[in-house]
Amino acid sequence: MSTPERGLDEREPGPGQRVAPGRPGNPAQPDAEELVWRRVHPITPLVRGWAVVGAAVVILGQQSLDGGPRGGLIALVSSEYWWTLLAALAAVALVGWGYSTLAWRMTTFAIGAETVHLRRGILFRQQRHARLDRLQSVDIRQPLVARFFGLCELTLETAGGTDSGVAIGFLKGSDADELRAELLARAAGLKVARTSPAVDARSHAPSDVVTAGAAPEGAVPDGGIQDAVEPAGEQGAGTARPAPPASLEAPQTPVLTVPLGRLIASVVRSGAMITLIVWALAVLVVVIVTGEFAVMSASLPAVLGAGGYLFGRLTGEFDFRVAISPDGVRLRHGMLETRSQTIPPGRVQAVRLVQSVLWRGRDWWRVQVNVAGYGGESEEKNSVLLPVGTREEALTVLSLVLPDLGVDEPRRVLDAGLDGDSRTISTFVTAPRRTRILDPVAWRRNGFTVTGRALLLRRGRMVKILDVVPHERTQSLALSQGPWQRRLGVASFQVHSTEGPVHPEVAHLDAGDAERLIAEQALRARTARAAAGPERWMERRGE
Amino acid sequence: MTSPFEPHDVTWNRVSPRLVTAWLVPAAISLGIPLVVGVVLAVTVSPWFWILGGVPAVFLVWTIILVPRQVKAIGYAERDDDLLIRKGVMFRSMVVVPYGRMQYVDVEAGPLDRKLGLAKVQLHTASVGTDAQIPGLAPDEAARLRDRLASRGEARLAGL
Repeated sequence: MSTPERGLDEREPGPGQRVAPGRPGNPAQPDAEELVWRRVHPITPLVRGWAVVGAAVVILGQQSLDGGPRGGLIALVSSEYWWTLLAALAAVALVGWGYSTLAWRMTTFAIGAETVHLRRGILFRQQRHARLDRLQSVDIRQPLVARFFGLCELTLETAGGTDSGVAIGFLKGSDADELRAELLARAAGLKVARTSPAVDARSHAPSDVVTAGAAPEGAVPDGGIQDAVEPAGEQGAGTARPAPPASLEAPQTPVLTVPLGRLIASVVRSGAMITLIVWALAVLVVVIVTGEFAVMSASLPAVLGAGGYLFGRLTGEFDFRVAISPDGVRLRHGMLETRSQTIPPGRVQAVRLVQSVLWRGRDWWRVQVNVAGYGGESEEKNSVLLPVGTREEALTVLSLVLPDLGVDEPRRVLDAGLDGDSRTISTFVTAPRRTRILDPVAWRRNGFTVTGRALLLRRGRMVKILDVVPHERTQSLALSQGPWQRRLGVASFQVHSTEGPVHPEVAHLDAGDAERLIAEQALRARTARAAAGPERWMERRGE
Repeated sequence: MTSPFEPHDVTWNRVSPRLVTAWLVPAAISLGIPLVVGVVLAVTVSPWFWILGGVPAVFLVWTIILVPRQVKAIGYAERDDDLLIRKGVMFRSMVVVPYGRMQYVDVEAGPLDRKLGLAKVQLHTASVGTDAQIPGLAPDEAARLRDRLASRGEARLAGL
């Protein structure tokens, strides 16, 4: 290969410290920089290879389940040719590891001032350049196998649709943290010096760390990200923390954790669990009545599916921690596979607060978000801002991503959105009474209100939903009207957001209200966009 | 009763009436074949096959009645900062796409469209939910619209 590549061990001294723009004494960063291509950790192929072996085992397991009565795999294991199975597995493992080793050799990455470069692929070479100012989130993922080796995978999401992220893996835990900090610092608009000696950073670090760390604390409940950012931008940005693993890490303040007991209780009270129990009871009754056990095995896939979902939710949301830092909201969760997410300010496209019917007694809420790049298959895992929390906690989390709703009494408005209906006095514009024939259960809940910064849409009576869309994040708007709605003079309103769990809409609004809403919302979205902050959240306007 | 689909400050552009042909031809083929097969079998084999022929016939008549009205209902309007598209006769919808939100614009034309001199312009935002397509435009108009949308989008482009 002709490009100057270096192994991990001989790469240049690790990325240096955060330096505020124009700070004196900053070793000048040449514009036409030379990229330092790095490889991922050499154990990566071993870790990736395991996935192949695991997949083979799962396929074999399924075969043996399917082939139940005919014997199939079970007969093979108990026969004298049992070693063929082991040999086949070994061959699969060798192929998997061999392929992963080749893939590892061909994978290199480099961090430029404004882009991340990733080269990979064996036959079909791929070079990906991701612009850092388009960065939507940075996640560090640690699958179970990788954890044995202390390795992590770093995923950088840009808003390019499906499979637009850049996954760099695997890296040593501390390297991944360092890389994340560097990426966030660059994306925030701070310049990062590559060759600065660590000693220099230590000399002035401690005092600065204190100020930077203290700043977000006061800003957490209602002050706002902007408040948290500015002091950090002025004083804290030049700091590098003395502790080696977190040398570039922006200071973070823990906000809340989800206790295990509540998580388990919330899953037990979830819709999927109810379905599972009802299903199991129904099957049991059928079995008792008919005496046919075939019903049981026939319903096994459905039960396994629901059980898998519940298990995935429990392990995925295990030990859920929320923290705030100048670089945005930090989430950390997972049992088998841990995930550490960073969503920078202004990257949240829409927020949903949802309460399923059995959570009402405890007043628990779940908070989900749309972040560009998070949608699609992994939506269940990474689009959750709070798996379960009290109303206070849910609103606190909401205030982390949308610090300012632009109303005098945000709590009153939010409470009305969460469980108010047309009978409560609030600023919500609700669906007219004549729509009860279209939506007999929840017609009172359908409604919207507009604040200075966001549009709030509420609906649902059994499962209560409140969607919050910041005006500047509106993609497009739509009205729709069916024949019955036309007869009643009502229309449904929809806001299009990026892919994700939140689909903001409100049904059966009075035609006049709907018409006004779509006209005014288009205007508000435009005004808000014009006034929106910079993509690089540490840079102030006019710079 | 005022309709929310008729904003007072908007004049709608209509699409080409040739779109009726473009939509009817595929429908006529897909419904016509079972219709003919059903009629032939009904005459030769058993009168029960009139049912097989009758169902597509009903759908075909319905389509022939509906499509011209649907085409007439499609409208688009370029406002200063956004594009409005409406469609639908029974199930109406209207979508507002701000120029600054457009990620890219597609112009498509199938073989039949090309023969009839039609093209479809489709707008894409960062949301997959945005269903903003204008079928049945003359190719010149489609090109003009594409360029205009692209330039307006550029002028108003914002972050996500």
